Amino acid sequence: MKKLIALALAVIMVLGLSVTAFAADGDVVLPREETLYFAGQQWGAVNSWNPIGTNQNNSMAIAAGGGQRTIMFETLYMWNILDGKLYGLLANDDYAWNDDMTQLTFTIKDAAKWNDGSDVTAADVIRTFDIGVEIANGTGSTYGPYIESIEGEGKSVTINAKLNDDGQPVNPLKILDFLELVIIAKADWIDQVYEANGGDATAILNDDGLNDDGELEVPYTGPYTRYFDDDQKVVFIRDDNYWGQDESMWGKLPAPKYIAHAMYADNNAGDNALREGEVDVSQQFTANVQDMWEKDGLPISTYYMEAPYGICVGLPTAWYNMNIPVIAENPALRKAIAMAVDYDSINANALTGQSPTFADVPRSLMNPTDAEQAMYDHDAVADLQWVGNDIDGANALLDEAGLVDTDGDGIREYNGEKISLTAVCPNGWTDWMAAMVEVANAGEKIGIEITTPYPEADTFNTVFTDPDQTEYAIFMWSPDASTPANPWSRVNQFMGMDYVGVQNNWSGNWGQYVNEEADALLKKIPTTTDEAELKDLYTQLTEIYLTEVPSFTLMYRPAVFFTVNESVWTNYPYEGSTYTMADGTEVLVPPTDCTDGFGIAALYNLELVG
Amino acid sequence: MKNTIRQVFHSPKFVGGFIIFVAILLTMIIYPLFNPGNPLQQVSVGTFARPGTYISLYDATKAESNTLRLPDAEDKRVAASLSDEDRVAMVEYFTAMGIDISELDTSDTEALLQMWDDNYDPSVRPKGMTSAKVNYYKRLNNALQDLKGGDTIIIAEEGEDGALAESKTITTTDYVRTGAVANVKTLPLGTDNFGRDVLKELVSATGTSIMIGMIAGVVATLIGLTFGLLAGYLGGFVDDFIMFITNIFTVIPGFVLLILITYSIGQEQRGAAVVATVIGLTGWTWTARSVRSQVISLRNRDHVNLSKLSGHSLLRIILTDILPYIASYVVMAFILQVSSGILAEAQLSMLGLGPQTTKVPTLGLMMNWAMLYSAHTNGSWWAYFPVILVITLISFSLNLMNTGLDQVFNPTLRD
Repeated sequence: MKKLIALALAVIMVLGLSVTAFAADGDVVLPREETLYFAGQQWGAVNSWNPIGTNQNNSMAIAAGGGQRTIMFETLYMWNILDGKLYGLLANDDYAWNDDMTQLTFTIKDAAKWNDGSDVTAADVIRTFDIGVEIANGTGSTYGPYIESIEGEGKSVTINAKLNDDGQPVNPLKILDFLELVIIAKADWIDQVYEANGGDATAILNDDGLNDDGELEVPYTGPYTRYFDDDQKVVFIRDDNYWGQDESMWGKLPAPKYIAHAMYADNNAGDNALREGEVDVSQQFTANVQDMWEKDGLPISTYYMEAPYGICVGLPTAWYNMNIPVIAENPALRKAIAMAVDYDSINANALTGQSPTFADVPRSLMNPTDAEQAMYDHDAVADLQWVGNDIDGANALLDEAGLVDTDGDGIREYNGEKISLTAVCPNGWTDWMAAMVEVANAGEKIGIEITTPYPEADTFNTVFTDPDQTEYAIFMWSPDASTPANPWSRVNQFMGMDYVGVQNNWSGNWGQYVNEEADALLKKIPTTTDEAELKDLYTQLTEIYLTEVPSFTLMYRPAVFFTVNESVWTNYPYEGSTYTMADGTEVLVPPTDCTDGFGIAALYNLELVG
Repeated sequence: MKNTIRQVFHSPKFVGGFIIFVAILLTMIIYPLFNPGNPLQQVSVGTFARPGTYISLYDATKAESNTLRLPDAEDKRVAASLSDEDRVAMVEYFTAMGIDISELDTSDTEALLQMWDDNYDPSVRPKGMTSAKVNYYKRLNNALQDLKGGDTIIIAEEGEDGALAESKTITTTDYVRTGAVANVKTLPLGTDNFGRDVLKELVSATGTSIMIGMIAGVVATLIGLTFGLLAGYLGGFVDDFIMFITNIFTVIPGFVLLILITYSIGQEQRGAAVVATVIGLTGWTWTARSVRSQVISLRNRDHVNLSKLSGHSLLRIILTDILPYIASYVVMAFILQVSSGILAEAQLSMLGLGPQTTKVPTLGLMMNWAMLYSAHTNGSWWAYFPVILVITLISFSLNLMNTGLDQVFNPTLRD
């Protein structure tokens, strides 16, 4: 009898487990031929759908990569990293500065509508900015220092730049960033949230944009809206009433009816799904991506057919922590380590060849695009640039600076203590981890002890954004890749003093580098319009940067990776592919994952295979 | 003692395990003599070079050549650039472009190439053709260009004024003997993601891993032995207390504990020796329990009681009257601890929690990097399979030795 009961219990348990397993799985079935699957953008469950909030962890709807992602919430303009131009989205292509660049005016498209059918108006833009300043969200803290006010009536908008003591705009470039990076929220809805939360900034920032039943409450203008989300996947469904099918915008709806993103455990899981054709668009670093088509013959491709396969506008950089005395007091040490690192190995091994080399694109403050490369005098700084793996040069530099090994243990000393540093990046970020190993190898060759801890990403984020940290001596992070305000904004991140001492610093100068001269030059750039003068300023800054070495760039890397599997969909952006605008002009479509900036045009070009 | 050793070496299982283990140890010692240098040196630029012999192209063009007329050379050359699948794909291309191929014989390489030359246009994208396919045809076209070239290649050297001067002409029948080339490098197991020689790294990593296993084994056995002896011999409150602690450690899954401890140590402090010690610290419980039960059965024997009556100290009784009787058991337990220590290091490293060091390789770290760089999905078996094999061999040989010893010492198993 006992045995029988035990058996019965076991059967009940097994049944119970399988029932729950089935219930948890497969409640959303999407037709493959109508769905575009992504990988590499969304990690973990979505926190919120609030476009004016913070910490949304909603990478498909509210995030920026190669421009702002606009599948659900839209910006005024779209940035095209290929031609460096802004294209109207909610606004018409008519933005214009007044003569002294203190005012920018534009009009909103007549067709632009919220999903409830009401017009997008100047009031929405104004309210989006004002609430940002009031509750200090990303928009407020990023653009508040540059924009005095926004005013307007009906469809026409004027942005007034903040002026400095000389009556000049602080930085007109940042206002262009506002146009392409700020998603517009509806004024009425903002008022409603404001009231519901009693004006409490923290509560507004953390509002999830859903009503009490968990249904979407927040209005949006984009072509897709939330369909389903949990900790396994997030799915968007096309809004067939999308205003953009008007002739003044796209003239049609985007091809996929659904956009889906499963939460993969890591890059390997995402890569496997891409191989199997379960993922169409992958924003992941894939080691030896060319093997997928060259060896395995899979229908997978990247933007360029040959290395570096993508548009490398990002500059993942190793930052020196100036809170650590041995680093702050020894520019020679900083430069020596940077000179000793074998960048060709980083490119060939860590990035598996997916980057231009420093022989192709000599190091400076610029990304490898022709436009930015033309902004400094290459000959003037040629003597200061290094291509790496220069062990003799680095040793000589250290010997000359008096950093020598006095006790014969193979490690150099400074003030009687051996120089022992850490080189840190988040765990699991494969190419960065391998790059840190190369930095440690370089240290070993020149008698500097460098260890490579890989903390979890959340720990890393907390430490490196703390202006007083002394835990990480060398750590990796990327400055801005490509926006209208670049290269200024990137150079400001490298050497600007605005960010020194800022708590919870996500903005720049993570190494806390102080240089008054560089800062003064940086302050001049935004209002300089003469190109020769600009070039001169950038050249001087490059000289300072390459002499002082407050940080060193390890590789050029795409702002977003873009690998596509053409089993279901085809006609993704490829080198030279264009989108035909309403007026018949052909515009290059950037490989920004079919979602970022002007890259979203790709969704309108997509076709089913066969 | 002599007799015991003779007995042990008569057990075929023990001898088998012993030979494998010694062979591994010898390789560890001898191989670096033939191939000295830093095992972490990056020899290749680029990831996962295939196993094989690499011949310096530069030196090969300088080396003296012989003329060999081999009948199948041309066919091999064609096959290397143009596979059967390529031929089918070319026909598909002609069809997509709407070209009449009724007269075409795909096995006729010359005709096929001629037709390809006449019709392939890299700037045209046939409607509906995927980018992957378009790129494939571009690559195929590049490969075919090599076939089309004449029978000679001219080597030219760049003079000081930048002008090219012809230095040598190579024809399809020129061959170079491998021994005549100044630089030939054999990489029996290719390279890993950092471009390191896998075999050299593997040999060095095996040493580190065995060292980790030994340290873990010594730590675990020492703790387990001490606790087991004390608990078993003293009994009473001491026994209850030690068993209380042991039971707590037994019910907490050891590996989870291991993960938590290594994680909280932080990566800076996590050298190979520290990880080994931590593995030892979490693995001692079963040794303690089984030593205790052995001691309990020993403690009331006559010779122990005699010692007690003679007023011998606790330490002396344990060391001379108890320990020798369970020594064979302790050796066996130690061997198993070494084996599980090596496995634990590999498991930890796979999770990214292994020894964090760029100075020495370990088997687990090799697997971890191979996995991070998708060696298992891109077909680079040499980066991880030999590592698995070595781990298996070590742990197999140790377990075999253990089973052999068991058969010798355990009366119930004795033949």
